[in-house]
Amino acid sequence: MTPIELSEIQAYLLNDLKEMGYSRYYLLKVKDATAAKKLIASIAGSISNAAVSAQDTSLNIGFTNTGLIALGLNEVNMHSFSREFREGMVTPHRQRLLGDFDSSDPSKWQWGGPANERVDVMLLIFGKNESGVDNLFQQLKQELDAGFHTVHILNNKPLPNDREHFGFRDGISQPVIKGSGIKPAGNNNDINPGEFLMGYENEYDIFPASPLLLDDKNQGNKESLAADVSGSSFKDLGRNGTYFVLRQLEQDVDGFWKFLKQQTNAPDTKTINEESTMLAAKMMGRWPNGAPLVTNPDNENDPANKSDENNFSYYKSDPEGEKCPFGSHIRRMNPRDQFEESPPGISLKLTRRHRIIRRVRSYGEDFIGSAENHKPNGEVGLLFGCFMANISKQFEFLQYTWGNSPKFKRLYDDPDPIIGVRECPAAGVKQNFTIPQKTVNKVIPDLQSFVTVKGGAYFFFPSVSVLKFLGTL
Amino acid sequence: MIKQHPLIILSPVRKDKLETLDMRLSVIREKLQKGTETEFRKVPTLHYGRWVILSRDSFRDEPAVPVGIRLIFSTNFDGDKDNHLNELVTNLTKYFDDIYECCEGYPEPGARTTESRKNYLEKYSIKTSAFYNGAPGRSVQQIHQEQALREYIWNFIKNNKWDKNATAVEMHRAIRKEVESKAEFAWSKQKAELPRIFNLPNIVVFIGYTILLLILFFFTTALMLIFIDFSKLSFIASFLLIFISLFLGLIQLWILFIHFFHERRDKNGTLTLSQLDDKKVNELKKTEDLFPQNQFTQVAVMKPGIVRSFNFWIWMLRTKVLAGRVFIKGKLLNIPTIHFARWVRIDNGKHVLFFSNFDGNWQQYLGDFIDQSGWGLSGIFSNTINFPKTHFMGVLGALPGMPIKFPGTNFLLTGGAYDEEHFLAWSRSTQVPTQVWYCPYKHISIKNINNNTSIRNELHKDLNDAQAKIFLKRF
Repeated sequence: MTPIELSEIQAYLLNDLKEMGYSRYYLLKVKDATAAKKLIASIAGSISNAAVSAQDTSLNIGFTNTGLIALGLNEVNMHSFSREFREGMVTPHRQRLLGDFDSSDPSKWQWGGPANERVDVMLLIFGKNESGVDNLFQQLKQELDAGFHTVHILNNKPLPNDREHFGFRDGISQPVIKGSGIKPAGNNNDINPGEFLMGYENEYDIFPASPLLLDDKNQGNKESLAADVSGSSFKDLGRNGTYFVLRQLEQDVDGFWKFLKQQTNAPDTKTINEESTMLAAKMMGRWPNGAPLVTNPDNENDPANKSDENNFSYYKSDPEGEKCPFGSHIRRMNPRDQFEESPPGISLKLTRRHRIIRRVRSYGEDFIGSAENHKPNGEVGLLFGCFMANISKQFEFLQYTWGNSPKFKRLYDDPDPIIGVRECPAAGVKQNFTIPQKTVNKVIPDLQSFVTVKGGAYFFFPSVSVLKFLGTL
Repeated sequence: MIKQHPLIILSPVRKDKLETLDMRLSVIREKLQKGTETEFRKVPTLHYGRWVILSRDSFRDEPAVPVGIRLIFSTNFDGDKDNHLNELVTNLTKYFDDIYECCEGYPEPGARTTESRKNYLEKYSIKTSAFYNGAPGRSVQQIHQEQALREYIWNFIKNNKWDKNATAVEMHRAIRKEVESKAEFAWSKQKAELPRIFNLPNIVVFIGYTILLLILFFFTTALMLIFIDFSKLSFIASFLLIFISLFLGLIQLWILFIHFFHERRDKNGTLTLSQLDDKKVNELKKTEDLFPQNQFTQVAVMKPGIVRSFNFWIWMLRTKVLAGRVFIKGKLLNIPTIHFARWVRIDNGKHVLFFSNFDGNWQQYLGDFIDQSGWGLSGIFSNTINFPKTHFMGVLGALPGMPIKFPGTNFLLTGGAYDEEHFLAWSRSTQVPTQVWYCPYKHISIKNINNNTSIRNELHKDLNDAQAKIFLKRF
């Protein structure tokens, strides 16, 4: 296998930067292309790469389709970027795939929507704390202001103990890129680099489609660019680069827990809390502390301590979903050895073709919800981010086929209870959550949506060399 | 048991009427998308219906013979063809008159009768090469009835006050009693007949082919070297040996012949999805993912020559024979999301049409195809122009049960559909926009349909504890 060129790859792909207690994503629009390219050329060397071990700050950068055009990449070359990236997150068809309707309609977004200012570039600054981020930003500010106009700022951070606002431990099952130097995770989580990086073989043992410099006339200094490994004579703009999906998801923590409590019918507060926590866990597939239902079907064991348990599968331990429901979020997003009807060996292989590297941070109050306490101050939510080489086969497949589609496995009317529920379903459309039980399945009908999309975009995270090249356009 | 059949009508479009035709079809399409279309349901035998305008522009590659503008009408229907045609022209008279007066040869207004309309359809109807049905024997009526039954029981289970200690058998009995008390479900007492299906266990197929392969490599060689003294064998034994060896030898030669003299020499598709024409792709996406089900219409140009034609014919034969009897339970070539699919050769076999109706979206559907049956797909479509290059799949895959791969032979069987990016691009670029697409049960998946039939059949049986538990798990 080709060794991975770590020094070419932006740090955020390989490092979740959880140790960086504060971060700010600057959403920028190109104001002056010449000045913008100057900034890009000057920071190319300061962009954090995966070969360097943790520092006090980390700087990463992503470009939207319009960003690359604004910098001067011509139409022929743009056309070699993936279709999803070129079209962006907001198209009528994609709205149907992603389920962005009602309050999540792109026309109501705070950024990235048709009513918002165009987002060209995203600069991600991570620091140990807020002042670390401020300091780094101040160093860049002058040059940044010359080339860019700031459209929107997303302040965010990891919540304590890796939780998210609903109260759950998040990001436990992450793929590890083979050959990246990160300790293999085992349990089917070690994935061929081409699923996340262009220029390497993916889980089909082929190279994922990568943008090429098809037309090099008046298109910058291509010397720093690598050759196309899949054999064409063109320079490869994608090598060591990746795509990044960012969605700002507001979480209605209060609504979530109230809904769960309404389902319990228990006589006293203690039982209501216990039962609603159990139901929340059924929907998620893990307990709030992260312990999987497959290994801990009945209780959380040790709620105070977080669990990193990820060594489990479904086929043998829970074939009927009596521990972890088929419709639960984690079982849908990573079916492990039970991919639809396939036998376990094949399932594992197929699952590896639909993974994403999640990069999720939260915004709003430092609030971790629970059955006892679920009213945060002001808007809270998460910045859902994920890396992948093929947006259609990975992120969009997960969101639509496994998340929004009510026909997952043999289910009839069950969208993903966490991310797939429509706020205003069409007339006659039911939205259920089925909990398989020993004799007869229990059903939670009339699910409600507790997640609202507030903004989003598809980005390209180029390699360091390609970043340098973009500065020469 | 009511059998399902394919109907396909290919009629030349009048050039002066193309625009009118396109407009009239789009009116129907919009109504279907909005859910305001009410005519189609007057044809109770109709599972799926579609109209597709096929012109030179529909072809990704240069057609093998000149093609005019034609209108494809394709349906999947219950029972007798004559009855279906009757229903179409009597219950959808306005549609047929409006649409087919834009085509050549349709009776003039004064001459339109049920008979003359039917004769027109008969005249332009063509043969389907291979046909697949994911829920054989299930009529439209049955699909709706069984869905309603499942809904009813689902609600009953949910709303009934169950004794905490009720066993699965007791619950099953209570459900049965409840349904039996309802006159509207009296039909369910009659067991749904299902076609007899061979479901060969993988291991049998695997062992079978391992033995065949051994014979292939050893016996043919052995025979050629005349190691066997035939004078010592009985006549029948010698005959069988020679027959098997010759047969297998022929397959072997055919594989090598196709590979070295055709597949390696053919021009192959190398476009990626991103490089396809944006306008065309967007046109296709416009009508996708409006419902839990989607459709796919495709036209490809056959590679020239009798060799490819014959190879394709073998594939169609295999699909026809096996899709009807073996490996069927809701799986075409192992794909669990297809309702109906078919291949149709047109223009003297120079072009091939493929139609399917499936659950989920395009990426999932084709991904499933690659994951579950890259072999099968490559075997069929490697006989068409510009398919991504395959290695040895063209013939081997045609053998019965061949979706199963031999461990360790992957290195031989690569390319084609397994070349995911180029395969997806090939699929998109050969896809044709479908003007009108109808199905009366777009919200029911093929797995739901098959599960509903099991519910009906298990409901009226006396079940033991384990069986009753399986029954209850179906809700």
